[in-house]
Amino acid sequence: MHSIYQRINNLSALLSSCVLSLLAAIALSSLLFTADPMGTLSIGSVKVYPGKARNFNEPRREHAFVRFNVSADLSPLFHWNTKQLFVYLGAEYANSAGVINDVVIWDRIVRRKEDAVINVSGKNKYIFKEVSSSFKAVEPAFYTLKYNVMPYVGALTYGEAARTDEPVVFPVVQDRV
Amino acid sequence: MQSSLQTYLEGRIDFEGQNKVEKITRIALPGITATAFFAGLATQSLRLTFSLLGLATLALALMVVPQWPMYNEHPVKWLPVKDAKKKE
Repeated sequence: MHSIYQRINNLSALLSSCVLSLLAAIALSSLLFTADPMGTLSIGSVKVYPGKARNFNEPRREHAFVRFNVSADLSPLFHWNTKQLFVYLGAEYANSAGVINDVVIWDRIVRRKEDAVINVSGKNKYIFKEVSSSFKAVEPAFYTLKYNVMPYVGALTYGEAARTDEPVVFPVVQDRV
Repeated sequence: MQSSLQTYLEGRIDFEGQNKVEKITRIALPGITATAFFAGLATQSLRLTFSLLGLATLALALMVVPQWPMYNEHPVKWLPVKDAKKKE
């Protein structure tokens, strides 16, 4: 402590401990905010069409086309430690082999609280295929709206904002329109 | 000129001053951190937390790092030099 360098060293050493405990406190403070917003999700229509697969062993692969309506107010999830939200719509179903799938068909990144009110009626953003190449004998699917809260400091948290009341049946495959 | 600059950069302070600096740092820095945390929590703003922490730390550094006169008020009093030649 007798010279300038020793005093700088002393100050910065204590500062690093203080900053670390501040970060830990900020990460823990996220537990204080327990908002659980609920929204509504309805499926307008599900259609299945045949399509070409890139894989030569499977020349035909069925594609599902889903139209949905989503409305949810996720702004309560924004607090001082929220960086952004990842909101995604998934289809949960068991395929003919009994494997439970959770396919993400639409998503959105919400960066600001002002954009956190979601009102979307749209169709699937990502190609919705079945691993077994056919939606025949696939169980009806539940559709869910889920979100990830990405914090500035701390752990990623998950949540579910909406879920269809009834499972939605995959219709029989149609010829291409 | 060069020697005075060197003395300033070295910034020696006396033992009482060292004690004072240590006490100020030990109390102020955790206080600043806690204030910054609760201020940010109350206003829901991480920016406020970290700007408060940064500015207050700079102010504290300005207070404890340079060789201020208040840290040099108790210079060490040495005993007078004994006349060694007498014994011979």
